[in-house]
Amino acid sequence: MKLEIGNFYVKDIIFGSSTQFKEGVLTINKEEALSLVREDEAITEADLIIAKPGDEIRIVPVKEAIEPRCKIDGSIFPGVTSDLAPAGNGKVHALKNSNVLVVGKHWGGFQDGLIDMSGEGAKYTLFSQLLNICLVADTDEDFEKNEQQKKNKALRWAGMRLAEYIGNAVRDLTPEDTEVYELDAITKRSAEVNSLPSVVFVMQPQSQMEESGYNDLVYGWDANHMLPTYMHPNEILDGAVISGSFMPSSSKWSTYDFQNFPMIKRLYKEHGKTLNFLGVIMSNLNVALEQKERSAQFVAQIASSLGADSAVVAEEGYGNPDADFIACIVALEDAGIKTIGLTNECTGRDGASQSLVTLDKKANAIVSCGNVSQLIKLSPMKTVIGELESLARDGLSGGWDNDEILGSSVKADGSIIMENNAMFCGDQVAGWSTKTMREF
Amino acid sequence: MKKGILYVNQFFGQIGGEEMADAKPQIKEGLVGPAMELDKQLGEQIEITHTIICGDNYMGSNQDEALAEIMDFLKDKEMDIFFAGPAFRAGRYGFACGSVCKEVQKQFNIPALTSMNEENPGVDMYKTDVVIFKGGASAAAMRKDIKAIADYAKKILNNEELLSADEEGYFTRGKRSQIWLSDKTNAADRVIDMLLKKVNDQHYETELPINIAEKVQIAPALTADQLSNMHVAIVTSGGIVPVGNPDRIQSASATKWGKYDISKLNDLVSGEYMTIHAGFDPAAANADPDVIVPLDALRAYQTEGKIKGVYKYFYSTVGTGTTQAEASRMGKEIAAELLADNIKAVILIST
Repeated sequence: MKLEIGNFYVKDIIFGSSTQFKEGVLTINKEEALSLVREDEAITEADLIIAKPGDEIRIVPVKEAIEPRCKIDGSIFPGVTSDLAPAGNGKVHALKNSNVLVVGKHWGGFQDGLIDMSGEGAKYTLFSQLLNICLVADTDEDFEKNEQQKKNKALRWAGMRLAEYIGNAVRDLTPEDTEVYELDAITKRSAEVNSLPSVVFVMQPQSQMEESGYNDLVYGWDANHMLPTYMHPNEILDGAVISGSFMPSSSKWSTYDFQNFPMIKRLYKEHGKTLNFLGVIMSNLNVALEQKERSAQFVAQIASSLGADSAVVAEEGYGNPDADFIACIVALEDAGIKTIGLTNECTGRDGASQSLVTLDKKANAIVSCGNVSQLIKLSPMKTVIGELESLARDGLSGGWDNDEILGSSVKADGSIIMENNAMFCGDQVAGWSTKTMREF
Repeated sequence: MKKGILYVNQFFGQIGGEEMADAKPQIKEGLVGPAMELDKQLGEQIEITHTIICGDNYMGSNQDEALAEIMDFLKDKEMDIFFAGPAFRAGRYGFACGSVCKEVQKQFNIPALTSMNEENPGVDMYKTDVVIFKGGASAAAMRKDIKAIADYAKKILNNEELLSADEEGYFTRGKRSQIWLSDKTNAADRVIDMLLKKVNDQHYETELPINIAEKVQIAPALTADQLSNMHVAIVTSGGIVPVGNPDRIQSASATKWGKYDISKLNDLVSGEYMTIHAGFDPAAANADPDVIVPLDALRAYQTEGKIKGVYKYFYSTVGTGTTQAEASRMGKEIAAELLADNIKAVILIST
């Protein structure tokens, strides 16, 4: 399987009469783009606003992030926005440094997050460093308007259509550079590669909701309804997995994260040099103990059958999913597979709580990306994209409307106090994170 | 100008030695003993205005009263920060420094800093509540220990970034917070680094240490009936040994234990047995070692039929400054010997 990602580096984004990419400038025909967004009749209002690094802009409630791309012989989200087709082979064109951000015009929820494009808050998310095309919209999905848990279906799907529409601007152009991702089939590798320690990457995407519509999808299939399976890493880099709409935001893997997954790219970089990268075991996160144990058992079996010497396990979430994370590490270690964990922690506002819900001494090698419950105070921003009050009003995981001591998350002057929980993909557990945890 | 106050014991407060250990708290304007060095190290912007002096035994035996008296001294004083010690390896002084700092933080909501040696029992008692810098074993480290506290105090009062416990040099308080790595190494790179070390059996450090306390289950109580059919063993961390300390058990931070035949004895006699424990006043134990190894009382129980007998050896080590890991190892070794001899009842005597 060979995937070529052709990169086009965006330096600026403007609106104009036709959607095109020229000399680093991405021009978007707003009306044409919005008509595509409005194809879904559920969308009642929609606008596009550009937010650039350094702008005095606060964006909330952020629901999803997607890199604008096109697939030369196919579509970018098979099984989701188009018919089912295999991903991971062929050519993709990507508009680097740019990103479609899906933002609620009014309503937020538990799973939504916040982004500051400058100032102290900018360091908390990756997306402050990107040129963001904010799709700010509202829908008639009244059944969930006042629900804390929102599926955000219309908005998220509109975001994917928009990302592909913008990506099509570079369909016929020649990329500035090309990344090539190719792995020989496991039984066809050279003696040299086979002599290296082998490694599998175990991904635990968020899939804890029993009801459909909230979980991450694998080729459009609800990850709650699957058993761990073996996947080629290229499939993930090529849109086979999309993000869901559940889990406190700082622990989330957005679709942008899946498309660019740093841990996968990093394992590729070591392949053939220090490691033999066998591929990805796509697991999931569950609610019932037996489901957690079943998935861990499957992961260990697949890893053993593949002959893995080592594994990296990463979870999209914290709290209850820590049990899946630790169970999976323990099952792998028990199978004699040396395992590294990649996660974040919840040590509380005072830092004194136990890091993970479940602990086991066999989980003796963990990379930690932050504390979801760290308190963050930020000054007002000149401009808000979306609706600032949503942070306090709508039950965002890191916001509140009336804390006995701290008051509301949103102050009259526009300043905010929140938990890291609501920083959009803030803990960057996909591998971007330059944060870690220390004892104080 | 910011203001601070220092707490010291009777010895460092220059009112006397052990004979003044019962002295009640007093407050003196200006600098006494270590306060001079602290004031100097704090520089131009921070001044030590008062020194509080209290006897170690008074604090140890009358903690509530002592703390109340000290808080009363402080209530009308202007202060931005509080200090205590350094206490080095002095156990009672360490306890006093920890308890005073904890109380000051609670009552006045200002930072309170102290310093102790890792073997000072005050560390384990107060490290989750108080920033305790890792200090030297004795007053020879005075200048260095004071500098560490003073440097950190300056950072706090100047609102500078405070680094982790390890980087600053104090005992961890069990609080974990996120930080940004100054070299910006991302998580994916850190995973690969850790993975390559782990697969190649090299040393690596997890970013999330998992410390699960090993708790030993308490054995079910024995009935008087069962006890009357058992030999009872004596194990102590009180340091009772035959005079001359034949096994050379250390007086502090012990790594050795000894066993001594008492099968033909009814009493441990002064002059033949003594304690080598450095963490308490040995006078009473040396006058009558049975206060720690109660052989005389157990022989009486044996005569009365309450127990069948006393195990032929008593086991002894020293508990002061001994690490949990060493204590656990020694405990397991002693338990193995007792189990091999089918002993099911032990009196464990600490001091």
